[in-house]
Parts: sequence; structure tokens; C-alpha cells
Amino acid sequence: MTSTWIWLALTADRPAGATAAAPVRQAPTGEPAGWMAAWARRRRPLAGALRADARIVDRGGAPALVSLVLPPAGVRVPVDDLAVQQARREVLARPPADAVSLLLRDASHFEGAITVVRGRGGAEDPFARLFPSRVLEVGAGLFGRVAPPAGPVIERYGSANPWPWDRYPAV
Amino acid sequence: MPTTSLAPGAIVPDLRLPDHNGNARSLSDLVAGDPTVLQFYRGWWCPKEQTFFRRLIAFQDEVEVAYARIVSISVDPPEVAAAFRAGLGARWTFLCDPGREAQRALGLRETTDTLNDPYVPAVATLLPDRTVLRAYDGYWYWGRPTLEELRGDLREITRPIGPDWDAPTP
Repeated sequence: MTSTWIWLALTADRPAGATAAAPVRQAPTGEPAGWMAAWARRRRPLAGALRADARIVDRGGAPALVSLVLPPAGVRVPVDDLAVQQARREVLARPPADAVSLLLRDASHFEGAITVVRGRGGAEDPFARLFPSRVLEVGAGLFGRVAPPAGPVIERYGSANPWPWDRYPAV
Repeated sequence: MPTTSLAPGAIVPDLRLPDHNGNARSLSDLVAGDPTVLQFYRGWWCPKEQTFFRRLIAFQDEVEVAYARIVSISVDPPEVAAAFRAGLGARWTFLCDPGREAQRALGLRETTDTLNDPYVPAVATLLPDRTVLRAYDGYWYWGRPTLEELRGDLREITRPIGPDWDAPTP
């Protein structure tokens, strides 16, 4: 991944042209729930795609449990909303997930969050206090394990970059 | 300072240590190009450290929006550092050096405490390349930096590296 962010989307069928994709099942029922896919490119691949920290994607990644928090249709909350800030603080304070990222559509709104865990039966997701979390079993080949955010910074390094991306491009 | 490893102008080595969760981390990755407060502390058991940490806890509410970092290092093992960090309410990374390899490399052993062999309490403010701007010897509590001193150091470091330090105006 050379970009700081990727596009991420939940789709009904396996999407063509994705950089990485994996089948998804609803947890804990195991009911098929489509595919989750990532695209490493500038242009939005499909209407529902959201930007995420590029580091969460790993085509060699093991299956994972994912908490996907998305605002209800028509609800738009600023990234700088106090509740979203506090959720980021709680991510830093708690035992780390394997990967986490805000989901963005533009430079100013919180469009959701994704939290990836393995082996602990599902960590509590601080973003689930904002909007309901959908817990999904995601197959191998999509999500990796990322070093926890260094903290304590909760700001974005450039408004287009989903937190916790943690540095400016020159670094 | 009792060592030259934190002398102003020295570059702190790219320490590789486990963090409070046991993940292997490098100092360069934690600094990541930001001004950084690097703190060496004796251990969770020291009342002076507990008091100084409360100062840093208050400071993190500013650091979290100011593109700067805090990194704390001790000889405590990860499980102890994690519990101490959680009890404090800290939201930055604690590095753990229970084998004391980094302590030896830096020459920062507090020789008067032969029971715990802790780090000598010290704080250094670092440039993005880990060059020491200023160091504070905290063996005596009053040697530790005030928040005003830390703010001044971080301003001094940030000003020349921030191309937009002077706010863009028409």
C-alpha cells in the first residue's frame, strides 16, 4: 500500500477489480452477509465506498471478527464531534484491536469506524457508543494486524486521512 | 545529566522495545516525525513518578491535538506498565525494558537504587529525528520540567518544522 488510505465497501457479491476482498458472515449466526472489499486507488470504486487507513488491509491477513459502525442513513456527524473525539481517546486507552480506522467520505464527516479483532471473542468497540455496531466474521485475505496508534494524538494528519494514520507524507 | 546520551544535540538511538501490550516497537516509529517528550521513569511504585505522571496526564489533553508525542520508558515489564498506564489514564505508548539493555546502552541506570535498578528519572524533548533539544534530570523532583517548559520546548521544535507556522492569510 503506497497511499495513506484505501476505499472500503460491503458488497452483495465479490467485486471485480478490488485490491483485496473476503467473504463476510454475520456474527454470531454465521449467516452469509456478502463481501467486504478494499480498493487501493484514488477514484471511488462504487457509491457506498468509504476511505479507511490503508494499513488495515493485508491480503495475507487471517480471518477476523470486525465491528462495523455506520451512522444511519441521513445522519452525518462531524469528525470533530465531541463523541467521536472521545471514542478515539478510548481506543487509545484500551487494550488495542488488531486494526482500527475511521471511515470517511469527505474531509469533515465521520461516516463510521471499523475495528478488527482476533482471538479475544470481540473487544468492545468505543465507536459502538455512537451508532450500532454490526459484528461480522470476515474471511482471510483482507485485514491485517497494525501496530497500535502511538497516542496521544487524536487529530488527523491531513483531513483526508482517516485516523489513526499518524504522520505527514514527508515522514 | 549523568549521561551524554541525553545531552542537547545528541540523537537518541532508535530503541527497539516491547510496548505495554508486548508489541515490538521502535522509537523512530513512535516519534514518526513529530516533536516528542521522551520520559524515563523509575517505576510504578515511586511516589515522585506518580505525581509527575499526573502532570503529563493533564498535558496529554493538549498534546493530543498538537501533533506531538509522549513516550514513557521504564524497566517495568509490559503487564505492569499496562496496569500502571490504565490506572493513570494515559493514552500514549509505554515502552518496557525489563532486561535493561536500553538502559545500559543509554547509561541511564540509577545507581543508588540497587534493589530495583530503575532508570534515572529524566525527560528529554526530541526533534523529529530524535535529536535532543533539552534534557531534564529528575533525580530531584524539582529538576523535572514544568508544563510551561515542555510547552516552550515543543513550540521551539515545532516552529521551524511547521511550514505553515505563520498562519496563511490573504
